[in-house]
Amino acid sequence: MSTVALFAQLKLRLLAGNLRGDLQRRLGFIFTLVIATGLAALGFFLMSLLRLAPADIASSLVITAFSFFLIAWMIVPLLAFGLDDTLDPAKLSLFPLRTRRLAVGMFTASVTGVWPLAMLIVTFGALVGLASNLGGWLLGVPAVLVQFALCVVTSRLITTSLSSALRTRRGRDVLAVAALLVVVLAQLPNLLMNTGFGDPAGMLRQMAAVLRWTPPGMMAHAIADGGLVGLAEIVFVALLVIGLAWLWIKALSRALVTPDVSTQAASVRRESGLIDRFLPDGPLAAVVTKELKYIRREPRFRVGWFSAIVVTVVLSFSLGSTSEGGAGPGVPIVLTCVGALMIALQSGNAFGIDGRSLWMNAVTFGSERALAVDLAGRHLANALIALPLLVAIAVATGLFTGHPAMILPAALTGWGALGLGLGVGSVTSVVLPYTVPERMNAFTGAAPGQGGQAFASAMGATAGIALLTLPFVVPLLFGLFWVSVAAPFYGLLAEVLGRRLAARIGFARMPELLAAVSKPT
Amino acid sequence: MTDAVRTHGLFKRYGQQIAVAGVDLVVPAGSFAGLVGPNGAGKTTTLSMITGLLRPDGGAAEVDGFHVWRDPVEVKARIGVLPEGLRLFERLSGRELLLYNGRLRGIPKPDVEQRAGELLAVMDLADAADKLVVDYSTGMRKKIGLAAALLHNPSVLFLDEPFEGVDPVSANTLTEVLQRYTASGSTVIFSSHVMDLVERLCDWVSVMSAGHIVAQGPLDDVRGGRTLNQAFLELVGRAPNGGEAGLTWLGVQRAEEQQ
Repeated sequence: MSTVALFAQLKLRLLAGNLRGDLQRRLGFIFTLVIATGLAALGFFLMSLLRLAPADIASSLVITAFSFFLIAWMIVPLLAFGLDDTLDPAKLSLFPLRTRRLAVGMFTASVTGVWPLAMLIVTFGALVGLASNLGGWLLGVPAVLVQFALCVVTSRLITTSLSSALRTRRGRDVLAVAALLVVVLAQLPNLLMNTGFGDPAGMLRQMAAVLRWTPPGMMAHAIADGGLVGLAEIVFVALLVIGLAWLWIKALSRALVTPDVSTQAASVRRESGLIDRFLPDGPLAAVVTKELKYIRREPRFRVGWFSAIVVTVVLSFSLGSTSEGGAGPGVPIVLTCVGALMIALQSGNAFGIDGRSLWMNAVTFGSERALAVDLAGRHLANALIALPLLVAIAVATGLFTGHPAMILPAALTGWGALGLGLGVGSVTSVVLPYTVPERMNAFTGAAPGQGGQAFASAMGATAGIALLTLPFVVPLLFGLFWVSVAAPFYGLLAEVLGRRLAARIGFARMPELLAAVSKPT
Repeated sequence: MTDAVRTHGLFKRYGQQIAVAGVDLVVPAGSFAGLVGPNGAGKTTTLSMITGLLRPDGGAAEVDGFHVWRDPVEVKARIGVLPEGLRLFERLSGRELLLYNGRLRGIPKPDVEQRAGELLAVMDLADAADKLVVDYSTGMRKKIGLAAALLHNPSVLFLDEPFEGVDPVSANTLTEVLQRYTASGSTVIFSSHVMDLVERLCDWVSVMSAGHIVAQGPLDDVRGGRTLNQAFLELVGRAPNGGEAGLTWLGVQRAEEQQ
């Protein structure tokens, strides 16, 4: 019991210490607290509302929800690994703790926190929603607790057994890109709904019928059943949890004595010099060369580009198939512009990924011009990939929606939107810079405490781009497709002006810019 | 001859805490200068302000007679920097990092390639030249960082803790390169708290404590007949005073303790 108290205290201390002295961080924590409380209350309310639904639908829904919770607990900590100090067993390995005590402590630490508490409350909502007789109420409490323990232990088991892999650079690189798969998977139900796949109630029943026999399904069923079957189910899952916990302890004691797998460093190919063939030797060529390498090698860039493409593809499916009888002729234009916007938004915080290495540029830049050249190089590298990509999107959407005549206007408008986006993005990069953490996860793209800046930057860039695209979007909406011929020139103008303005602002506040992108993550 | 570095009342505060409280640092050209001080004395903050990476709240800094904040073009062409923390462009290989750095400064590509090749050979990094910096060890990072700082042949070199976490072999390489560099009349300023090293390498020492310069001058003047370590401890007010009271349990055998 003292171990439990000790670790719970340690975790609370860590949480409190994290907040000390930093207003932004404190605001961020309050925000998290409000969201978590809101979600807990909403979840509890929705779950308890199920009482009013027909019994079979209610139990199907809870079965699905419990399974979903378990999956979320398995995936989310993996994507956010390292967010929590008490969860890394390596930090505790030097203390004379028996593995058993360590496991109890780690379990306590993982359940102490805002999100686990919110989760527990939502799970209890199911008890209110489902329990129909005295047995249900009596069995419900242990069932909820066992379901909660199942979530926590499974999540610990997975992170612990993968922790040595996660500590290598390659492992983290792979995981960063894998985060995207989750985003795509999250879109899957949406796509299925859009295609009008059967009736939702029938689908739910089919899904619940399968999930009913999974451990979380059994827990949901136990609450609804409230009889001997329910009791047997709880005992079975509790034993399963103990088994998983035993596996976890085994994995933990192995992880503590296994050294980090050092990454076998591979050599990279020597530069081919392709860029130098069409650019004059100088800083511009240097930046373009470096930037193209970064897009290829840096996982955060890969994630950015992949998600830009994925979002465009997902949108094409939903926009292209919603209106029966074919999409309007404007759809290819809209989609190509959205693609351009998604690509350009990555440049909305151009220095964020450089992060603390930005000093290397800062000690070199003696004038505004040098910074302008840096931005130009980044934009050129971006455009080298984006321009052909936008043409591909225009061709694909043009053919897909049955408006091949729209391919040319779509491509031209997309190019214009890209130029606009780069211009606006270079201004937001210097006005609202923020640190992009090394390990991206699905929730924050900024260092602790800088979420507000990141949000403001993205909103500002989107609003700026939307406003500036009006001059050619409005005529296009009225069917004046010839306007698209002017769009690339308009975009180029915006890029040049935005870049000049950004260089002027950015050079004057280089030390502040450097500090903003060098926050610890 | 002008001083390589001269600051007047350089000042920086973070919230309530004053990190650097009016520093007048002087380093004559051509010297191998050590900036020493306990942790938190303000060494890194001072160096960051002189190299233009951190905006001072007050005071001025000059490098080779040029004002750091008014004449950045002249200053930045003259200085080479190796900050603490070793953050480099991690997804470039060592060679690519040097090429990028040199070309960003406008040096023609063939020249950069030649210089980079020679620096990599001298730093013993030729085998690792085509591996990504992210996979480098601490010593390799310090060496590639120094190579990048030297690439444009600066006249003043600022190094923040260049020997921390570096193995003796790499440290030896680093000192050899630096000694050759100062022998030709260039200036090196490095911060450290390894007194033996400073004593061995430097001919000029500035001692910082709690945001102030407490002593500054040629090495022999500062140590005044003592070892530098003794002089340093007296200057920063931490002279060894025999055993402290308390800590009597430390070193006592467990068996006795339990009796």
